[in-house]
Order: sequence, then C-alpha cells, then structure tokens
Amino acid sequence: MEDVAMEPDSVDLSGPEPHHRVSAAWDAVTAELVSADPSMSDRDLSDALALLSRRGLSRLLGPWLLETLQLRLSSSVVPEFWSGLHQPENELQERDRALVLLRAFRTLLDRLDPFLNGLQRLGTWQEEGRGGLSGPGPRGLRERAFTSIRALLLFSPVPVLQERVLEFYSRTFSIYMKPQGGEEGGPAAPEGSDDPQASEGGACPGCGVPAPACWCQEAMELLQELSQMLWRLQLLQWVSTEAVTSILHRLIEQRMEQHCRGEYERSFLLDFQEWLELVLGWLSKVFIGEKDGDCDGDGAAPGGPGGPGSTVLKQWRCHMHQFFCKTYVSMRIEELFSIIRDFPESKAAIEDLKFCLERTNQRQQLLSSLKSAFESRLLHPGVHTSDILTVYISAIKALRELDPSMVILHVACQPIRKYLRTRHDTVRQIVAGLTGDSEGCSDLAAELSRGDPVTLEMQDSDDEGAGPEDWTPDPTDAVPDKTGSKRRSSDIISLLVSIYGSKDIFIDEYRAVLADRLLHQLNYNTAREIRNVELLKLRFGDSHMHYCEVMLKDMADSRRINSNIREEEQRLSEEEQPPLSLSAIILSSEFWPSLKEEKLELPPVVCQAMEAYTHRYEKLKAMRTLSWKPHLGSVTLNVELEDRTLIDLTVSPIHAAIILHFQDKSSWTLEELSAQMGAPQELLHRKLALWQQHGVLREEAPGRYCVVETGSSGERLERGVMLIDSDEERDSNTTTQSEQREEKLQLFWAYIQAMLTNLDSMTLERIHSMLRMFVATGPVVTEMDVNELEAFLQRKVRDHQLIQSAGVYRLPKSN
Amino acid sequence: MASQNMDPAAATASSTAALKGSESGGSAARGSVSKRLQQELMTLMMSGDKGISAFPESDNLFRWVGTIDGAQGTAYEGLRYRLSLDFPAGYPYQAPRVKFVTACFHPNVDEQGFICLDILKDKWSALYDVRSILLSIQSLLGEPNIDSPLNATAAELWSDQDAFKAHLHATFQQ
Repeated sequence: MEDVAMEPDSVDLSGPEPHHRVSAAWDAVTAELVSADPSMSDRDLSDALALLSRRGLSRLLGPWLLETLQLRLSSSVVPEFWSGLHQPENELQERDRALVLLRAFRTLLDRLDPFLNGLQRLGTWQEEGRGGLSGPGPRGLRERAFTSIRALLLFSPVPVLQERVLEFYSRTFSIYMKPQGGEEGGPAAPEGSDDPQASEGGACPGCGVPAPACWCQEAMELLQELSQMLWRLQLLQWVSTEAVTSILHRLIEQRMEQHCRGEYERSFLLDFQEWLELVLGWLSKVFIGEKDGDCDGDGAAPGGPGGPGSTVLKQWRCHMHQFFCKTYVSMRIEELFSIIRDFPESKAAIEDLKFCLERTNQRQQLLSSLKSAFESRLLHPGVHTSDILTVYISAIKALRELDPSMVILHVACQPIRKYLRTRHDTVRQIVAGLTGDSEGCSDLAAELSRGDPVTLEMQDSDDEGAGPEDWTPDPTDAVPDKTGSKRRSSDIISLLVSIYGSKDIFIDEYRAVLADRLLHQLNYNTAREIRNVELLKLRFGDSHMHYCEVMLKDMADSRRINSNIREEEQRLSEEEQPPLSLSAIILSSEFWPSLKEEKLELPPVVCQAMEAYTHRYEKLKAMRTLSWKPHLGSVTLNVELEDRTLIDLTVSPIHAAIILHFQDKSSWTLEELSAQMGAPQELLHRKLALWQQHGVLREEAPGRYCVVETGSSGERLERGVMLIDSDEERDSNTTTQSEQREEKLQLFWAYIQAMLTNLDSMTLERIHSMLRMFVATGPVVTEMDVNELEAFLQRKVRDHQLIQSAGVYRLPKSN
Repeated sequence: MASQNMDPAAATASSTAALKGSESGGSAARGSVSKRLQQELMTLMMSGDKGISAFPESDNLFRWVGTIDGAQGTAYEGLRYRLSLDFPAGYPYQAPRVKFVTACFHPNVDEQGFICLDILKDKWSALYDVRSILLSIQSLLGEPNIDSPLNATAAELWSDQDAFKAHLHATFQQ
C-alpha cells in the first residue's frame, strides 16, 4: 500500500530517544502482534507503545500489519491454498475430495490466524487507547484485512473451487434431506424413495455409498466446520452463494418436473412450502456462522439474536419462494392449454398458478403463450366446432378463477371468438348445447338451468352498485376498448351469445331448432321445450321469447282442437266415419320460421280427410282456415301383402303416398309417379329406397317399380321402427345463418340509403343510433355493432355507393 | 318488469316490446302509432320504389322528411323535392300533414308548400300509408288537377308544357 511507503518520510526521527530503543520497541510490538500467544507483560507493552507513539510510529502499526498480511498472502498462502485444492490429482472418492477441500481451508485459516489475531489485538489496543494508540478499532482493521484476503484469494478463482463446493454442498444437502428414521418422515420421504440410488442394494440414500462406508455423519460435521471457517474468514457469501443458488434452482426445477408436471388435480403449494422449510433447515447449517455471528458484531444480523429467522435466511427464503413461483408459473404456462382442457379437474393447478402468478411478472408471457396454444391446437379446420366450444367454455371457467378481473380471459380468448365467428355451425352448436341436444357441451345446458336470473342487460348496469372504494384499476395488460373499465362479463352464456354481438341471432336459431323439434316430434309433448323456453326467458327477456311461446301455445292448442274434432267424428254414424284418422298440428304461420315448401300431391283419400278436417276446424274457429303442409308430418300404416303384413310402420307422408299409389296399381314407373304426386323424380327415387329396403317394392326394370306380394320373410322388419331416410337432413325447414346475415345487411342498406336521401349527410354514430331506433324487423329487433357498421359503410365507400368526407357519410350525387 | 332496468337507449330500441306489455291509456295509443309508423318505414324500405323516399327526421318517429324525384317524362323530371310529414297522435285515423319544403311551382301547391290533394284531406283513409302518399304526390306532379288550383299562375301556364317547363326549371332552387 502506498501510504505505508510514504509514511516513514514524514516521521520525525530526531528526538530524545535513541534509535536503538525505538527500533527495539518496534520489534517487540510487531512480534507481539503476530505471535500465536502473547508473552509481553502489559507494562512493557504499554511502555513500548508509548515510546512508538511519541515518535509518531504507532499509527504505522496497522498499515504494517496489513502489508505483511498481503505479502504473505500473495507469496505463500494463496498459492498454497490453490495447490492444496488441486494437490492429490488421483483422489477419486467424493469423500476424499471433500476432505481435501476442508484441508485447504483449514490450512488457509491456520496461515491467516496469527494475522487475524494480531489485528484483533491491535484493534483492542487502539480501542483502549493504550500508550496513546488510536485508530479505526478492530472492526475497521478487520474489514480491510478481509477485503485484502478476498481480493487476493478470489482474484482469479479456479473453477475447481466452485466445483468442489458445489459437490460437497449437494452431498450434504441430500444427506440432510434423506429420511431419518421416521422423525423426518413426511415430505422428505418421497425424495429418498425417488432417488434411484436408494434401490442399489444397501447404498446409503444420503451419501450414496454402500452402507458400511457411510460418511453422512462425518459429512455433516465437515459441513459445520467448513461453514464456521468460511464465516471466520468472511468468505461464506463469496464462496457459497453461487453453489447454493445453483443447487436450489436445480432441485426446485427437478422436484417440479417430477411432482407437478402433468399433475393438475392436486395443489402443490403447501407441499412445496413444507419442502422449502426443510431446505431452509439445511441452509441454516450452511450459513451457520452468519446465524450465530451477530453477537460478534460483524453486521450479519443486526436485527436481533440469531435463530432461523436471521436476515440471511430470510433473504434466502424470499429468493427460493420467488424462484419457486417463477418456475411453477413457467411450467404451468407451457401446460395451460391442457389445464384448461381438464378444468374443473385441474382447479387445484389453476389456484396454485393464480397464487404464483400474482408474485411474478409473467402475465404477458402467459397471455401470448396461451393465445398461440389456442391457435395451434384448437383453431384449425381439423377441430369440430363443438370441441372448440367445449374448450372455450372450460377456458371461461378456468380463467375466471385465474384472473377475476377477466382481463386474461378477455384477451386470450379473443382469437377463439374471432375464429368461431367464421364457423357456420357455431350458433347451431351453441343453441344445441343450450337445449341439451348436443353430446359435446353438456355444460351449457347445466349453465342455463342454473337459472341465473341475471339478464344480459342487467350485467352492464349493476357495476354501479359497488362503492367507489371497491374500485380497482384494470391490470396493465387489459385491452383498451370501448367497454373501458366496465366489468367484463364472466357469464358463460353471455360470452357465447356475444360472440356475434347480438343475441337475436341466437333467438332466431333457437326458434328454428324449436320448430324442427316440435315438427319432428309430432306428439304434443312439450314439457321439455317449455322448460327451455322459460329458462331462456330468464336470460333474454320475455319479449324476445314471445314467438317461441306462441309456438308452444300452438302445440297445446293443436292438441285441444284435435281432441275436439276427434270427439265430433266419434259422434258420426258408422258410414260417415272418416277412412283414416288424421290429427294436425296447427301453426300460427306468423310466428313460426318459414317452412320449406315442397310440392307434393297426396292421394285423394288423404286429401278428402284433410278437407273434412279443415271443414271441422272452420266450424270450430270462425274466420279461420287451414293451409296444409303435405310434406311435413308422419304416417303410421300397416302394409298387407299376400303372405305377410307389416304393422305399424311410421313413415313420412311422401313414403305413405307412394305406397298408397301401389294399392291401386301394382306397377309404376318413376315418371308416372312423379306426374301423379307432383314431386321430382329424383326425390321419389330416393324415397322408394325405403320400400325396397322393406322388401315391399322392387325395381323390376330401370325406373319401374312393382309390389313384391310374396317375399322371403327374413326381410321383415321389426314393428314400430321409425324410419327416416339417412340422406335427409333434419333441419330442412330453416334458413341458414349466413343467409340471415346477408338479408340483414341488405335491409340495413335500404335504411341507410333512405336516411341519407332525406337527411343528406350523417355521422357514423347518428346512422348507428337511427338504425337502432327504427329498424324493427319481424320477430326481433335487429342490432348491429358500431364497428361492424363502420366496416360495412367503408365497404360501400369502396364500392362508390357512398361518399365519406369530413366525418360524415353521404350518397353520391348521381343517385 | 325487466324494462325498468334497461338503459334508456335500449328501452327506446325495444319500445315496441315494452309497449306491448302496458295497455293503459294514451301511452298505449301512442305506442301503437309508433308501431304502425315503424312498420310503414319498414314497408317503405323494403318496397324499393324509385324516386320516393322518406325517413324520420330525428329520433322523433312522428316527424319525417320525404324526398320525391320528378317522374320521367314529366316537366318535373330531374328535379328533387323535399317534403315534411307530420303525423298526428290520431294517425292513421287522421291524415298526416304533408307539405313541400322545397319551393314547388305547381298548380296544386301554394307558396307555403301546402298541397291540395284529396287523399290528404277528405278522402283520407287509414288504409293509406306513407308510401301511397308519396306515390300520389309524385303522380300529382305530372298530372295536376287544373280545376281547383292553389297556384293560378301555374295552372294557366300548364297548358303550354314547354313554357311551363322552362319557367319551372328557371325558378327551381334546391
């Protein structure tokens, strides 16, 4: 150090004392400082110190000591330490390596001990002011000494030190964590049994060598010694931190892989908490010096006397906890798709993830990962719509647990919603789910029957209810949109219904489904449908379900009218009885979805029955009449052939009409039938297949069919089987969703043109509000999102059907 | 009832639905008039007639603005007229008040834009609607009733179609 070199010049050597006495005093004091056991008497020492002080030499003692220490360190101690560490190159046993490590540190401590003691002594003298000494005291001196030691020793650390320390710590860790005869049992037990070494006949689970050579006990003692030595040299943090950190990280990751990956049904937080406490026990052994050290006043733990709660351990606890959370979140992020898919079984995993996610900064990562997982695993043509919906519903449930602010749900599921909009059967699937018809999403029916009486509108308004103190800002990753901080809906049905921005589309679809169902069912049993309609009324409001109610009422009315007419018929005389019993479902045409028209001439006998029915109906309900849909319905009939009878076949009217024609004439060509029934040949050809299948008809020549009066009895079919052509789609009498959409846009365009013709120019908002106010179509109030409208208007602008300038829209002049 | 919890805008949108429920007094009557007007608007939109058009002026369904283009082959071809339509609370049993907003030089239209048309006066019937009114006025432009003129000058000039047309186009202002 340079100040040491400078000092002697400034020393005034001329004085009353002769040189030799000063020199002798210096020698005596310095010898006393570095000697192992002090031999000078107090008096001599004080005299010598006083003498030195008078000559201004006493303040050189500290620098001298440090200088000597440095010289020794760099010339012999440090090289000795490193070579000691390397020394026996052939040592192969782990235990030997540990011993070498210990020996190296022991030697180091031995070599440095005199200096440390000397420093201690000098410091004490300074504090006591002995012989006029003054200086920074033991603490200051030691600080400088330790800095020198660290600097010289670790200036060029050799990797072997870290390796050795790491190895030794790992070993002691596994020894510490091994099950110890029941008392440590609990959480540590699986650790031991998972260890492959444990099964290798008789190997100690701790130190991994055969039981007789077990050195667990020794290792723990060595650990204690090492810790103490390191602490004395104040090298503990410098030497151990890295090794401990890497051990802990590795272990946490390992444990997580082994225990948590793919396992969603169990919470791991508590397990890990316990395990971490156990690990902390080991840490307290490593950082033993720090723990006990605060009484020495070296600043390790100023906040109270030792104990496991000391500052260093607290820091480690925090660090480990944080690391655990981070690792856990990272792992779960990778698995989130599967977790969502498995919800609600994976609820435990979601709760754990929620806890950890709040402590780390990984929301963004989670969002982008989940989004891309959805896109790659879900949103492609290979996945059935109902599966997408099922996952979406799970995602809603899972993510609302994970993030009550719904922001994650909102953002991550955006791609799903967008994609679902492009699927044509989405609405149908959702409605099927709601009515419990689909196999896939049974959740929806359950959700609906939960009967949450929160209507869609009310969801928006009731966030006023909470006091201003309860307000919490949105998380930073919330998408700034027009809903602002308005609470995002977490209601599954509302979310699904809002995919299209309007519930009307669903109500229309439900109406179509309901119509199909009622028309195919053909009995008047509507209990289930009534229940569904009532539940939907709770969701969508009475007014929207009005049409459906009328439809159900039609069914009830039909039943009554039928029984009325039936009674009337029974009162007739024998010969007046109608040739076949006919019952009708009477629909109020205004309220039903448009039914597909199909031309079909029924045989005269049926027509007569229908006329008679109509007649009676007109008597019953004045001013009203019936308009028949001959192709809808079902017919139950018996087919009597020469050698067999088919009883109680339930077929569609067209099937019945066909076979009825064969009653009069046993052979028909396709053309003749087609002319007779007014139905296209192709259709008839398809329908004839049923009777061929029954063995009643056969195609004797291409396009010519005849009755098989005697046939093999094996072709008989069981009675009462409902036969429906497989190629006939059930939902034949409703328009598709995209057609509806196109119609809607066409209608909107008519309104927009009209308002611009009469009111010249309007802003987007004005157009939107006008549409909202005045477009009332048929069964529903059609709605359109303002963004959707803007896109539509822009399209018209591109087609030159509209002009936009200065924020307003107008029609082109030529129009 | 659910409508109490709706926000006003939504309530307006579904006014037909809400009003269907309450069947008391004047509001119900007004509601049914609204409904009729809404229906008429719909009919008009769907009809796609060329040259006639109308739309509510603002959010008040009882006051409409109409537009009529002069029919082809008449003196009024190429001219576009703006009208105002006011519907009384008694509509459709009372006729709407219809007048030209754009000045119209026509034998049966006065300087204030009032129109002399029988179906708007004594021949009114609830079976007429906005569409039929506009179509009637459009045809009135081409076929005036010279016998009971409101604008004598125009009636006199009518016989000379070329002069009439020249005068009409010279004085027409948007």
